[in-house]
Amino acid sequence: MAKERISFHDQIARNKWKSFFLVIIVFIVLIALGYVISLAFDPGYFFIIMIIATIISLLYVMITYYNSDKIALASVGAKKADPVKHKALYNAVESMAIASGLPMPQVYVMPGSQINAFATGRDPKHAVICVTEGALAKLNKQELEGVIGHEMSHIANYDIRYMTTVAVVVGAISIISQMVLRSMWYGGRDRDRGNIIFFLIAIIFAILAPIVVMLVQFAISRKREFMADAGAVQFTRYPPGLIGALKKIKNEHEPMKVPDAVKPLFFSDTSRKISGLFQTHPPIDVRIKILEAM
Amino acid sequence: MALWLIILIAVIVVLLLIVIGFYNRFVVLENRINNSLAQIDVQLKKRVDLVPNLVETVKGYAKHEEKIMHEVSEARKALVGAIDSKDIVKSVKAGDALQGALSRLFAIAENYPTLKANENFLQLQQELSAIEDKIAYARQFYNDSVLAYNNACRTIPGAWFASLFGKKAGKYLEIPEAEREPVKVKF
Repeated sequence: MAKERISFHDQIARNKWKSFFLVIIVFIVLIALGYVISLAFDPGYFFIIMIIATIISLLYVMITYYNSDKIALASVGAKKADPVKHKALYNAVESMAIASGLPMPQVYVMPGSQINAFATGRDPKHAVICVTEGALAKLNKQELEGVIGHEMSHIANYDIRYMTTVAVVVGAISIISQMVLRSMWYGGRDRDRGNIIFFLIAIIFAILAPIVVMLVQFAISRKREFMADAGAVQFTRYPPGLIGALKKIKNEHEPMKVPDAVKPLFFSDTSRKISGLFQTHPPIDVRIKILEAM
Repeated sequence: MALWLIILIAVIVVLLLIVIGFYNRFVVLENRINNSLAQIDVQLKKRVDLVPNLVETVKGYAKHEEKIMHEVSEARKALVGAIDSKDIVKSVKAGDALQGALSRLFAIAENYPTLKANENFLQLQQELSAIEDKIAYARQFYNDSVLAYNNACRTIPGAWFASLFGKKAGKYLEIPEAEREPVKVKF
Protein backbone atom coordinates (compact mmCIF):
# COMPACT_ATOMS: atom_id res chain seq x y z
CA MET A 1 0.00 0.00 0.00
CA ALA A 2 2.64 2.49 1.07
CA LYS A 3 4.79 1.51 -1.89
CA GLU A 4 1.92 2.01 -4.28
CA ARG A 5 1.31 5.50 -2.95
CA ILE A 6 4.93 6.46 -3.35
CA SER A 7 4.91 5.34 -6.95
CA PHE A 8 1.82 7.46 -7.63
CA HIS A 9 3.64 10.43 -6.11
CA ASP A 10 6.67 9.67 -8.28
CA GLN A 11 4.49 9.59 -11.35
CA ILE A 12 2.96 12.96 -10.49
CA ALA A 13 6.38 14.54 -9.91
CA ARG A 14 7.70 13.02 -13.14
CA ASN A 15 4.75 14.33 -15.14
CA LYS A 16 5.15 17.83 -13.74
CA TRP A 17 8.88 17.82 -14.47
CA LYS A 18 8.44 16.49 -18.01
CA SER A 19 5.80 19.12 -18.80
CA PHE A 20 8.13 21.85 -17.63
CA PHE A 21 11.01 20.39 -19.64
CA LEU A 22 8.83 20.24 -22.74
CA VAL A 23 7.79 23.88 -22.45
CA ILE A 24 11.47 24.85 -22.19
CA ILE A 25 12.31 22.83 -25.31
CA VAL A 26 9.58 24.55 -27.28
CA PHE A 27 10.85 27.89 -26.11
CA ILE A 28 14.42 27.11 -27.21
CA VAL A 29 13.29 25.74 -30.57
CA LEU A 30 11.27 28.86 -31.34
CA ILE A 31 14.16 31.13 -30.45
CA ALA A 32 16.49 29.01 -32.59
CA LEU A 33 14.07 29.42 -35.45
CA GLY A 34 14.18 33.19 -34.97
CA TYR A 35 17.95 33.07 -34.99
CA VAL A 36 18.03 31.14 -38.26
CA ILE A 37 15.61 33.52 -39.89
CA SER A 38 17.67 36.53 -38.81
CA LEU A 39 20.81 34.92 -40.23
CA ALA A 40 19.07 34.24 -43.49
CA PHE A 41 17.70 37.77 -43.86
CA ASP A 42 20.30 40.19 -42.66
CA PRO A 43 22.60 39.90 -39.64
CA GLY A 44 21.99 43.61 -39.03
CA TYR A 45 18.46 42.83 -37.88
CA PHE A 46 19.72 40.13 -35.54
CA PHE A 47 18.74 41.82 -32.26
CA ILE A 48 15.34 43.03 -33.42
CA ILE A 49 14.45 39.63 -34.80
CA MET A 50 15.70 37.89 -31.67
CA ILE A 51 13.60 40.16 -29.46
CA ILE A 52 10.53 39.51 -31.59
CA ALA A 53 11.26 35.77 -31.56
CA THR A 54 11.56 35.77 -27.78
CA ILE A 55 8.30 37.66 -27.34
CA ILE A 56 6.47 35.41 -29.79
CA SER A 57 7.75 32.23 -28.15
CA LEU A 58 6.89 33.49 -24.66
CA LEU A 59 3.39 34.35 -25.86
CA TYR A 60 3.00 31.02 -27.62
CA VAL A 61 4.10 29.04 -24.58
CA MET A 62 1.86 30.99 -22.22
CA ILE A 63 -1.20 31.00 -24.44
CA THR A 64 -0.98 27.29 -25.19
CA TYR A 65 -0.30 26.40 -21.57
CA TYR A 66 -3.40 28.20 -20.35
CA ASN A 67 -5.63 27.27 -23.27
CA SER A 68 -4.47 23.79 -24.19
CA ASP A 69 -7.74 22.32 -22.92
CA LYS A 70 -9.82 24.64 -25.11
CA ILE A 71 -7.64 23.90 -28.14
CA ALA A 72 -7.96 20.14 -27.64
CA LEU A 73 -11.73 20.39 -27.15
CA ALA A 74 -12.18 22.61 -30.20
CA SER A 75 -10.08 20.33 -32.40
CA VAL A 76 -12.48 17.42 -31.84
CA GLY A 77 -15.64 19.54 -31.97
CA ALA A 78 -16.62 18.92 -28.33
CA LYS A 79 -19.50 20.78 -26.72
CA LYS A 80 -20.34 21.35 -23.06
CA ALA A 81 -22.58 18.56 -21.78
CA ASP A 82 -26.19 19.52 -21.10
CA PRO A 83 -27.02 19.06 -17.38
CA VAL A 84 -30.50 17.74 -18.14
CA LYS A 85 -29.91 15.71 -21.28
CA HIS A 86 -26.64 14.21 -20.02
CA LYS A 87 -27.75 13.73 -16.43
CA ALA A 88 -26.29 10.21 -16.27
CA LEU A 89 -22.91 11.49 -17.45
CA TYR A 90 -22.89 14.26 -14.87
CA ASN A 91 -23.78 11.76 -12.16
CA ALA A 92 -20.97 9.41 -13.23
CA VAL A 93 -18.42 12.25 -13.28
CA GLU A 94 -19.57 13.60 -9.92
CA SER A 95 -19.44 10.12 -8.40
CA MET A 96 -15.88 9.61 -9.62
CA ALA A 97 -14.86 13.08 -8.45
CA ILE A 98 -16.17 12.19 -4.99
CA ALA A 99 -14.48 8.78 -5.02
CA SER A 100 -11.13 10.32 -5.99
CA GLY A 101 -11.46 13.38 -3.74
CA LEU A 102 -10.77 15.71 -6.68
CA PRO A 103 -12.74 18.81 -7.64
CA MET A 104 -15.54 18.29 -10.15
CA PRO A 105 -14.10 18.65 -13.67
CA GLN A 106 -15.95 20.28 -16.55
CA VAL A 107 -17.91 17.83 -18.66
CA TYR A 108 -17.94 17.82 -22.47
CA VAL A 109 -19.48 15.63 -25.14
CA MET A 110 -18.00 15.14 -28.62
CA PRO A 111 -19.68 13.76 -31.72
CA GLY A 112 -18.84 10.22 -32.86
CA SER A 113 -20.54 6.84 -32.67
CA GLN A 114 -17.44 5.07 -31.28
CA ILE A 115 -16.91 4.56 -27.56
CA ASN A 116 -14.10 6.81 -26.38
CA ALA A 117 -13.22 9.55 -23.92
CA PHE A 118 -10.36 11.83 -22.93
CA ALA A 119 -9.34 14.17 -20.16
CA THR A 120 -7.41 17.39 -20.56
CA GLY A 121 -6.45 20.55 -18.68
CA ARG A 122 -3.40 21.77 -16.81
CA ASP A 123 -4.15 20.55 -13.26
CA PRO A 124 -7.01 18.93 -11.31
CA LYS A 125 -8.56 22.34 -10.62
CA HIS A 126 -8.74 23.11 -14.35
CA ALA A 127 -9.63 19.71 -15.74
CA VAL A 128 -12.05 18.64 -18.44
CA ILE A 129 -13.50 15.22 -19.18
CA CYS A 130 -14.90 14.65 -22.65
CA VAL A 131 -16.77 11.55 -23.83
CA THR A 132 -18.16 10.58 -27.22
CA GLU A 133 -21.88 10.37 -27.90
CA GLY A 134 -21.26 6.71 -28.72
CA ALA A 135 -19.95 6.05 -25.22
CA LEU A 136 -23.10 7.57 -23.72
CA ALA A 137 -25.34 5.50 -25.97
CA LYS A 138 -23.55 2.15 -25.65
CA LEU A 139 -22.19 1.96 -22.09
CA ASN A 140 -24.21 1.16 -19.00
CA LYS A 141 -23.77 2.96 -15.70
CA GLN A 142 -20.95 0.79 -14.32
CA GLU A 143 -19.05 0.81 -17.61
CA LEU A 144 -19.36 4.57 -17.92
CA GLU A 145 -18.13 4.98 -14.35
CA GLY A 146 -15.17 2.74 -15.20
CA VAL A 147 -14.21 4.89 -18.20
CA ILE A 148 -14.69 8.13 -16.24
CA GLY A 149 -12.67 6.64 -13.36
CA HIS A 150 -9.83 5.96 -15.81
CA GLU A 151 -9.91 9.58 -16.98
CA MET A 152 -10.17 10.85 -13.39
CA SER A 153 -7.04 8.88 -12.63
CA HIS A 154 -5.22 10.65 -15.51
CA ILE A 155 -6.29 13.92 -13.90
CA ALA A 156 -5.09 12.85 -10.44
CA ASN A 157 -1.69 11.74 -11.79
CA TYR A 158 -1.13 14.97 -13.77
CA ASP A 159 -1.03 12.93 -16.95
CA ILE A 160 -3.37 15.51 -18.44
CA ARG A 161 -0.86 18.32 -18.09
CA TYR A 162 1.89 16.36 -19.75
CA MET A 163 -0.17 14.76 -22.48
CA THR A 164 -1.93 17.98 -23.40
CA THR A 165 1.41 19.79 -23.61
CA VAL A 166 2.66 17.05 -25.93
CA ALA A 167 -0.46 17.39 -28.05
CA VAL A 168 -0.01 21.15 -28.38
CA VAL A 169 3.70 20.83 -29.27
CA VAL A 170 3.15 18.13 -31.88
CA GLY A 171 0.34 20.27 -33.29
CA ALA A 172 2.54 23.38 -33.47
CA ILE A 173 5.35 21.52 -35.20
CA SER A 174 2.98 20.13 -37.79
CA ILE A 175 1.61 23.62 -38.43
CA ILE A 176 5.12 25.03 -38.93
CA SER A 177 6.10 22.20 -41.26
CA GLN A 178 2.92 22.77 -43.29
CA MET A 179 3.80 26.43 -43.57
CA VAL A 180 7.32 25.68 -44.73
CA LEU A 181 6.16 23.13 -47.26
CA ARG A 182 3.61 25.53 -48.72
CA SER A 183 6.00 28.46 -48.90
CA MET A 184 8.41 26.19 -50.80
CA TRP A 185 5.93 26.17 -53.67
CA TYR A 186 5.80 29.93 -53.92
CA GLY A 187 9.38 30.81 -53.01
CA GLY A 188 10.49 31.38 -56.62
CA ARG A 189 12.09 34.81 -56.44
CA ASP A 190 15.37 35.76 -54.84
CA ARG A 191 16.85 32.35 -55.36
CA ASP A 192 20.07 32.58 -53.41
CA ARG A 193 18.71 33.93 -50.16
CA GLY A 194 15.63 31.69 -50.39
CA ASN A 195 17.88 28.67 -50.73
CA ILE A 196 19.78 29.58 -47.61
CA ILE A 197 16.57 29.99 -45.64
CA PHE A 198 15.21 26.66 -46.74
CA PHE A 199 18.52 24.98 -46.20
CA LEU A 200 18.61 26.21 -42.61
CA ILE A 201 14.96 25.41 -42.00
CA ALA A 202 15.60 21.94 -43.35
CA ILE A 203 18.39 21.55 -40.82
CA ILE A 204 16.07 22.66 -38.04
CA PHE A 205 13.52 20.08 -39.08
CA ALA A 206 16.22 17.46 -39.20
CA ILE A 207 16.79 18.29 -35.54
CA LEU A 208 13.11 18.59 -34.72
CA ALA A 209 11.93 15.36 -36.29
CA PRO A 210 13.62 12.99 -33.82
CA ILE A 211 12.40 15.17 -30.96
CA VAL A 212 8.82 14.77 -32.18
CA VAL A 213 9.25 11.02 -32.43
CA MET A 214 10.68 10.95 -28.92
CA LEU A 215 7.81 13.02 -27.57
CA VAL A 216 5.19 10.82 -29.12
CA GLN A 217 6.93 7.79 -27.69
CA PHE A 218 6.90 9.38 -24.26
CA ALA A 219 3.22 10.06 -24.64
CA ILE A 220 2.53 6.48 -25.62
CA SER A 221 3.71 5.33 -22.24
CA ARG A 222 1.82 2.13 -21.63
CA LYS A 223 2.55 2.38 -17.96
CA ARG A 224 0.45 5.53 -17.88
CA GLU A 225 -2.58 3.67 -19.25
CA PHE A 226 -2.14 0.70 -16.92
CA MET A 227 -1.85 3.04 -13.96
CA ALA A 228 -5.02 4.84 -15.01
CA ASP A 229 -6.83 1.49 -15.28
CA ALA A 230 -5.64 0.59 -11.78
CA GLY A 231 -6.80 4.01 -10.57
CA ALA A 232 -10.23 3.45 -12.09
CA VAL A 233 -10.54 0.20 -10.14
CA GLN A 234 -9.44 1.93 -6.96
CA PHE A 235 -12.18 4.55 -7.45
CA THR A 236 -15.02 2.28 -8.59
CA ARG A 237 -14.02 -0.87 -6.62
CA TYR A 238 -15.65 -2.67 -9.53
CA PRO A 239 -13.30 -4.05 -12.23
CA PRO A 240 -16.14 -5.61 -14.31
CA GLY A 241 -17.35 -2.10 -15.22
CA LEU A 242 -14.12 -1.11 -16.94
CA ILE A 243 -13.69 -4.61 -18.39
CA GLY A 244 -17.17 -4.40 -19.90
CA ALA A 245 -16.37 -1.06 -21.51
CA LEU A 246 -13.08 -2.39 -22.95
CA LYS A 247 -14.82 -5.47 -24.34
CA LYS A 248 -17.44 -3.32 -26.05
CA ILE A 249 -14.67 -1.20 -27.58
CA LYS A 250 -12.89 -4.33 -28.76
CA ASN A 251 -15.94 -5.31 -30.77
CA GLU A 252 -16.04 -1.99 -32.58
CA HIS A 253 -14.16 -1.79 -35.83
CA GLU A 254 -14.62 1.65 -37.31
CA PRO A 255 -11.70 4.00 -36.62
CA MET A 256 -12.25 7.48 -35.23
CA LYS A 257 -11.25 10.56 -37.16
CA VAL A 258 -9.35 12.87 -34.82
CA PRO A 259 -6.29 15.07 -35.34
CA ASP A 260 -2.96 13.24 -34.79
CA ALA A 261 -1.96 15.60 -32.03
CA VAL A 262 -4.81 14.64 -29.68
CA LYS A 263 -4.69 10.87 -30.32
CA PRO A 264 -2.63 9.97 -27.24
CA LEU A 265 -5.19 11.70 -25.02
CA PHE A 266 -7.94 9.19 -25.69
CA PHE A 267 -9.21 6.35 -23.53
CA SER A 268 -8.59 3.75 -26.24
CA ASP A 269 -6.73 3.74 -29.54
CA THR A 270 -8.51 5.86 -32.13
CA SER A 271 -7.16 3.92 -35.13
CA ARG A 272 -7.65 0.21 -35.62
CA LYS A 273 -4.32 -0.68 -37.19
CA ILE A 274 -2.79 -4.03 -36.38
CA SER A 275 0.81 -2.83 -36.24
CA GLY A 276 2.01 -2.43 -32.68
CA LEU A 277 4.71 0.11 -33.33
CA PHE A 278 2.50 3.16 -33.75
CA GLN A 279 -0.25 2.19 -31.40
CA THR A 280 -0.91 4.94 -28.93
CA HIS A 281 -2.23 2.51 -26.31
CA PRO A 282 -1.48 -0.95 -24.95
CA PRO A 283 -3.55 -3.70 -26.60
CA ILE A 284 -7.05 -3.97 -25.18
CA ASP A 285 -6.64 -7.71 -24.52
CA VAL A 286 -3.68 -7.07 -22.23
CA ARG A 287 -5.60 -4.39 -20.35
CA ILE A 288 -8.58 -6.72 -19.90
CA LYS A 289 -6.33 -9.54 -18.70
CA ILE A 290 -4.68 -7.36 -16.06
CA LEU A 291 -8.04 -6.06 -14.87
CA GLU A 292 -9.48 -9.55 -14.63
CA ALA A 293 -6.58 -10.57 -12.39
CA MET A 294 -7.36 -7.75 -9.93
CA MET B 1 36.20 24.57 13.49
CA ALA B 2 34.17 26.61 11.03
CA LEU B 3 33.64 23.49 8.92
CA TRP B 4 32.13 21.66 11.87
CA LEU B 5 29.78 24.54 12.43
CA ILE B 6 28.63 24.54 8.80
CA ILE B 7 28.01 20.78 8.89
CA LEU B 8 26.11 21.13 12.15
CA ILE B 9 23.90 23.89 10.72
CA ALA B 10 23.33 21.90 7.54
CA VAL B 11 22.25 18.85 9.55
CA ILE B 12 19.88 20.95 11.64
CA VAL B 13 18.36 22.55 8.56
CA VAL B 14 17.84 19.17 6.89
CA LEU B 15 16.26 17.77 10.06
CA LEU B 16 13.97 20.78 10.31
CA LEU B 17 12.92 20.35 6.68
CA ILE B 18 12.14 16.70 7.29
CA VAL B 19 10.05 17.55 10.35
CA ILE B 20 8.17 20.25 8.45
CA GLY B 21 7.61 17.87 5.55
CA PHE B 22 6.07 15.25 7.81
CA TYR B 23 3.99 17.81 9.64
CA ASN B 24 2.55 19.07 6.36
CA ARG B 25 1.87 15.51 5.27
CA PHE B 26 -0.24 14.94 8.37
CA VAL B 27 -2.09 18.21 7.82
CA VAL B 28 -2.83 17.24 4.23
CA LEU B 29 -4.14 13.83 5.30
CA GLU B 30 -6.32 15.36 8.02
CA ASN B 31 -7.70 17.92 5.59
CA ARG B 32 -8.56 15.15 3.19
CA ILE B 33 -10.56 13.39 5.90
CA ASN B 34 -12.39 16.61 6.77
CA ASN B 35 -13.16 17.28 3.11
CA SER B 36 -14.56 13.80 2.65
CA LEU B 37 -16.75 14.31 5.71
CA ALA B 38 -18.07 17.50 4.15
CA GLN B 39 -18.85 15.56 0.95
CA ILE B 40 -20.92 13.01 2.86
CA ASP B 41 -22.76 15.85 4.59
CA VAL B 42 -23.51 17.58 1.29
CA GLN B 43 -25.04 14.44 -0.20
CA LEU B 44 -27.04 13.60 2.94
CA LYS B 45 -28.46 17.13 2.96
CA LYS B 46 -29.44 16.80 -0.69
CA ARG B 47 -31.32 13.63 0.22
CA VAL B 48 -33.04 15.43 3.09
CA ASP B 49 -34.07 18.25 0.76
CA LEU B 50 -35.61 15.96 -1.85
CA VAL B 51 -37.77 13.91 0.51
CA PRO B 52 -40.59 16.44 1.22
CA ASN B 53 -41.05 16.95 -2.51
CA LEU B 54 -41.24 13.19 -2.98
CA VAL B 55 -43.74 12.74 -0.14
CA GLU B 56 -45.97 15.46 -1.63
CA THR B 57 -45.91 13.78 -5.04
CA VAL B 58 -46.71 10.34 -3.63
CA LYS B 59 -49.53 11.74 -1.46
CA GLY B 60 -51.32 12.93 -4.58
CA TYR B 61 -51.58 9.36 -5.86
CA ALA B 62 -51.49 7.06 -2.84
CA LYS B 63 -53.27 8.80 0.03
CA HIS B 64 -53.88 5.77 2.22
CA GLU B 65 -50.25 4.59 2.37
CA GLU B 66 -49.91 6.58 5.56
CA LYS B 67 -47.70 4.12 7.38
CA ILE B 68 -44.81 4.27 4.96
CA MET B 69 -45.17 8.04 4.56
CA HIS B 70 -44.94 8.43 8.29
CA GLU B 71 -41.92 6.15 8.35
CA VAL B 72 -40.12 8.20 5.68
CA SER B 73 -40.91 11.48 7.43
CA GLU B 74 -39.66 10.16 10.76
CA ALA B 75 -36.47 8.82 9.18
CA ARG B 76 -35.94 12.19 7.56
CA LYS B 77 -36.39 13.98 10.87
CA ALA B 78 -33.89 11.64 12.51
CA LEU B 79 -31.38 12.34 9.74
CA VAL B 80 -31.78 16.11 10.09
CA GLY B 81 -31.10 15.75 13.83
CA ALA B 82 -28.09 13.51 13.20
CA ILE B 83 -26.59 15.95 10.67
CA ASP B 84 -27.00 18.79 13.16
CA SER B 85 -25.24 16.76 15.85
CA LYS B 86 -22.14 16.57 13.56
CA ASP B 87 -21.66 12.92 14.51
CA ILE B 88 -20.63 11.28 11.28
CA VAL B 89 -21.34 7.68 12.24
CA LYS B 90 -24.79 8.66 13.49
CA SER B 91 -25.50 10.68 10.35
CA VAL B 92 -24.49 7.83 8.08
CA LYS B 93 -26.66 5.38 10.04
CA ALA B 94 -29.64 7.74 9.91
CA GLY B 95 -28.98 8.20 6.20
CA ASP B 96 -29.08 4.43 5.72
CA ALA B 97 -32.36 4.23 7.66
CA LEU B 98 -33.88 6.90 5.42
CA GLN B 99 -32.62 5.11 2.33
CA GLY B 100 -34.24 1.91 3.59
CA ALA B 101 -37.57 3.67 4.12
CA LEU B 102 -37.31 5.24 0.66
CA SER B 103 -36.64 1.86 -0.93
CA ARG B 104 -39.82 0.47 0.70
CA LEU B 105 -41.71 3.54 -0.50
CA PHE B 106 -40.51 2.94 -4.06
CA ALA B 107 -41.49 -0.73 -3.78
CA ILE B 108 -45.01 0.27 -2.73
CA ALA B 109 -45.17 2.84 -5.52
CA GLU B 110 -44.99 -0.08 -7.93
CA ASN B 111 -48.67 -0.73 -7.14
CA TYR B 112 -49.71 2.69 -8.42
CA PRO B 113 -49.28 2.82 -12.21
CA THR B 114 -50.30 6.48 -12.48
CA LEU B 115 -47.74 7.45 -9.83
CA LYS B 116 -45.09 5.41 -11.59
CA ALA B 117 -45.83 7.31 -14.80
CA ASN B 118 -45.58 10.70 -13.11
CA GLU B 119 -42.57 12.53 -14.51
CA ASN B 120 -41.82 14.37 -11.30
CA PHE B 121 -41.84 11.10 -9.38
CA LEU B 122 -39.52 9.41 -11.88
CA GLN B 123 -37.12 12.30 -11.73
CA LEU B 124 -37.04 12.24 -7.94
CA GLN B 125 -36.49 8.50 -7.98
CA GLN B 126 -33.51 8.85 -10.33
CA GLU B 127 -32.12 11.73 -8.36
CA LEU B 128 -32.34 9.81 -5.08
CA SER B 129 -30.71 6.76 -6.58
CA ALA B 130 -27.84 8.93 -7.90
CA ILE B 131 -27.45 10.39 -4.42
CA GLU B 132 -27.30 6.88 -3.00
CA ASP B 133 -24.37 6.13 -5.33
CA LYS B 134 -22.60 9.33 -4.42
CA ILE B 135 -23.00 8.68 -0.70
CA ALA B 136 -21.48 5.24 -1.20
CA TYR B 137 -18.49 6.78 -3.02
CA ALA B 138 -18.13 9.53 -0.44
CA ARG B 139 -18.03 6.88 2.33
CA GLN B 140 -15.47 4.92 0.36
CA PHE B 141 -13.27 8.01 -0.03
CA TYR B 142 -13.67 8.83 3.64
CA ASN B 143 -12.50 5.33 4.56
CA ASP B 144 -9.62 5.55 2.05
CA SER B 145 -8.55 8.83 3.64
CA VAL B 146 -8.76 7.39 7.16
CA LEU B 147 -6.72 4.39 6.04
CA ALA B 148 -4.04 6.65 4.52
CA TYR B 149 -3.93 8.69 7.73
CA ASN B 150 -3.72 5.63 9.96
CA ASN B 151 -1.03 4.09 7.78
CA ALA B 152 0.97 7.28 8.01
CA CYS B 153 0.59 7.25 11.82
CA ARG B 154 1.50 3.59 12.20
CA THR B 155 4.32 2.99 9.76
CA ILE B 156 7.88 4.08 10.37
CA PRO B 157 9.13 6.80 9.99
CA GLY B 158 5.72 8.50 10.16
CA ALA B 159 5.03 6.86 13.51
CA TRP B 160 7.92 8.72 15.19
CA PHE B 161 6.61 12.06 13.98
CA ALA B 162 3.00 11.17 14.75
CA SER B 163 3.80 10.92 18.45
CA LEU B 164 5.83 14.13 18.20
CA PHE B 165 2.84 16.03 16.79
CA GLY B 166 0.32 14.24 19.02
CA LYS B 167 -1.38 12.53 16.06
CA LYS B 168 -2.96 9.21 16.87
CA ALA B 169 -3.92 6.36 14.59
CA GLY B 170 -7.56 5.42 15.04
CA LYS B 171 -8.56 8.96 15.93
CA TYR B 172 -10.99 8.77 13.05
CA LEU B 173 -13.41 5.87 12.79
CA GLU B 174 -14.03 3.99 9.62
CA ILE B 175 -17.62 4.02 8.47
CA PRO B 176 -19.17 0.60 7.95
CA GLU B 177 -19.35 -0.30 4.25
CA ALA B 178 -22.62 0.65 2.62
CA GLU B 179 -24.81 -2.30 1.87
CA ARG B 180 -24.14 -2.71 -1.78
CA GLU B 181 -27.48 -4.30 -2.50
CA PRO B 182 -30.39 -2.37 -1.09
CA VAL B 183 -33.95 -3.69 -1.07
CA LYS B 184 -34.57 -5.14 -4.52
CA VAL B 185 -37.16 -3.23 -6.46
CA LYS B 186 -38.77 -5.12 -9.30
CA PHE B 187 -39.48 -3.22 -12.48
